[in-house]
Amino acid sequence: MVRVSLVGGINVHEVTLSSTLLVGDIVHVTNRSRALAVQRQEAVFRGDEGSFEKFGVFSRPIPKPIVDEPETIVYRNEDPFIRVNLVNIISISSSSLTQVGSNRTIDLESRVKHIRQLLPRSAPS
Amino acid sequence: MNFTVENKNITIGNIRVIDVASSSVLLIGDTRSISCSAIFDTPPESLIIGPFVPLESGR
Repeated sequence: MVRVSLVGGINVHEVTLSSTLLVGDIVHVTNRSRALAVQRQEAVFRGDEGSFEKFGVFSRPIPKPIVDEPETIVYRNEDPFIRVNLVNIISISSSSLTQVGSNRTIDLESRVKHIRQLLPRSAPS
Repeated sequence: MNFTVENKNITIGNIRVIDVASSSVLLIGDTRSISCSAIFDTPPESLIIGPFVPLESGR
């Protein structure tokens, strides 16, 4: 049996890029996000630029721990509640999870490729 | 493997967080399994100095 979460109040400013703010119970949480973060000395951007397929970081497999023996877990909940007064969060971003409640599995993945483009030193800006 | 968890009283005052980012978890509750992965790639060759060239769109 899982415990019941009692939270007095929650205050969140922003939830972005495939993140979740969840109040209640769920079985699986599977968040994925990918981003090409391009910074340029001058703000010149075309709407159709970039392709995730061109960069290995977006397709490379991520190794997971291998569980090679059976486990038996016994939970003893002496107190059936988790009590929190107030939660204050500025930002939840990039495949993150904030939950008041319980779940069975959490599986989160975020992939970011950073590219910076500067003009040559001699070039007029 | 036998594993026993004893959950005693948890009473928290206030939680103040700046940022939950890059596949992180803030959980007030129970779970069985957590798997968080983040790839953040900034190799030296991703710093491009030269005339502005748009990224290949792949289309």
